[in-house]
Amino acid sequence: ELPPSHFPARRAAAVAVGYLRYLRGGPGRRLELRALRRARRQDIDDVGHKYYLELELEDVLDKGRTVNCTAEVLYHLGSKSTAPDVQVTVQGELRSTEEADKEFYNRIRSLEKELVAENIPDSHGNVPPALEPIHLLAWAASGYVIWQNSTENTQFHLAQVKHVKQVKRSDEDLQFDYVLLLHEMVSQEVIPWELTVLWHPQSGARVSWDRRQPGHA
Amino acid sequence: ANMKLILIFSALIGASLCLETFVGHQVLRIKTKNEEEVKQLQLLESLEHLELDFWINPSAPALPVDVRIPAVSVQSVKAFLESQGIEYSILIEDLQDVLDKEKEDMAESAQRQRSGSFDFGAYHTLDDINNELDHLASEYSFVEKIQIGESYEKRPLYVLKFSTGGSNRPAIWLDAGIHSREWVTQASALWIANKIASDYGTDASITSLLDKMDLFLLPVANPDGFVYTHTSNRMWRKTRSKIPGSICVGVDPNRNWDAGFGGPGASNRPCSDSYHGPSANSEVEVKSVVDFIKNHGNFKAFLTLHSYSQLLMYPYGYKCTRPDDYAELESLGRAAASSIRSLYGTTFQVGTICKTIYQASGGSIDWSYDNGIKYSFAFELRDTGRYGFLLPANQIIPAAQETWLGLKKIMEHVRD
Repeated sequence: ELPPSHFPARRAAAVAVGYLRYLRGGPGRRLELRALRRARRQDIDDVGHKYYLELELEDVLDKGRTVNCTAEVLYHLGSKSTAPDVQVTVQGELRSTEEADKEFYNRIRSLEKELVAENIPDSHGNVPPALEPIHLLAWAASGYVIWQNSTENTQFHLAQVKHVKQVKRSDEDLQFDYVLLLHEMVSQEVIPWELTVLWHPQSGARVSWDRRQPGHA
Repeated sequence: ANMKLILIFSALIGASLCLETFVGHQVLRIKTKNEEEVKQLQLLESLEHLELDFWINPSAPALPVDVRIPAVSVQSVKAFLESQGIEYSILIEDLQDVLDKEKEDMAESAQRQRSGSFDFGAYHTLDDINNELDHLASEYSFVEKIQIGESYEKRPLYVLKFSTGGSNRPAIWLDAGIHSREWVTQASALWIANKIASDYGTDASITSLLDKMDLFLLPVANPDGFVYTHTSNRMWRKTRSKIPGSICVGVDPNRNWDAGFGGPGASNRPCSDSYHGPSANSEVEVKSVVDFIKNHGNFKAFLTLHSYSQLLMYPYGYKCTRPDDYAELESLGRAAASSIRSLYGTTFQVGTICKTIYQASGGSIDWSYDNGIKYSFAFELRDTGRYGFLLPANQIIPAAQETWLGLKKIMEHVRD
């Protein structure tokens, strides 16, 4: 049993939430971790450390409705290059984002010039309302990077969308090339990360390419 | 324009010396149509008894002529102009009115600057913050701005001293912004400074606190880094000191204290954001505080503000063993967290640094604790990652308010 106030449980929770954001997040959905209710750790010989978590999330755009989840996060033993295995079970249904997704999709498709933006939020924490869906999509995509790159010795958060550029495609997907700033809490580094996200209302977000930006200290 | 300045200047002096007023004086603009009319005005100019004051002298038909006419002569000059068919308009009906209004405006503007309409719910530059410190010090007799040293780039390290008397009373230390990107901390420190200053005398708790103890508040512990977050890189954390032998700049000032220096949880790589520096206290920003506190010799509490994560922590960070005063600090921490939660429901986790966030050596509250300052706490303010360092300005005051309740709880315990 782990105290929720101690960091090992909190780090595992961050991975679980990142994973969930990637799977279920998008331009119309904002999921926040409200509380870590309970955490257990199981050390599995020759395999790794497995965390069992009870989480209370908040579906912010659904009037902050509470969403309860359970999650399992398995960090593989000694491996820095294998992503943790994550399973998340959401209790109940999340509110549909079909309408917001459709509206966002149509709006972007109808843009004459490809969308370009930077510094979301800005230095003062402001996000122009029109860019909030782009911000939320970045959160969903960051969930993938966070999940893929986490260990028991890291805790990642999305610090800022440094740059985003839409790339028009001939198929049905929307494509956005992002440069995200990820804050890694243990080393305190702010790491620029490049990634390409594809999104469609019916298929959700997919990170098709990503890399830590080269040339960073 | 110069003429007007001289006029206004002499009017003000005159007004204050009761020498001369301009009540009823009018300023006319005369538009001459030909050389003949110009000559007429030059004639007028020569009549000294009228005491006409030409702001623009008659010279050529194309140019307007502006003239100030003393009250007694206004009617006769106008009559003359009309009889000659010379066009004019009234620029200023009553010069004294204009002068009075101008004096009023200037006084108001000076007053506004003095009382500072400082917006505590917004982020400010270093200059604006320093101006507000001056304002607080000038407005409250028990608040003094002192300089405890200079940053690497030679910016003053300003501390507000709150003292209602006594001689070297037991004191509380509070700092913010040691990590420059944590903007909610500098902003909260300003709000807290203003809160304490303005509530002394009316709030029983603050009054009894300052009647027994002194408070020293360093709102911007890392001014070089802070300026850098405004001008170049919003995510800058460290100082801006040059590191011999490296192209990278800056030391993590909260890994630079002499407490387990160089141990786990700090990096020896200059390019790292948690680089501990070449040696303990190598950073002048740290050394200045260390020297000040040691020289004072009577500090009872050392409190420091960081962001983000919503944590309330006590020693140790450099080792994972409990401090001797664990029970008391844990209990006090929980009480403070409870006070924080009472306002907006914001939850802070409580515990030692090592267990709560990570093992980290060279931290400030470890140093203060090992140097006899029992009540050493580090706060990590809002939020928990949604905005992180980029906390929207509309959360500054709520964050400051709730944090203040936690600080107050600790200070009250120290006082008693």
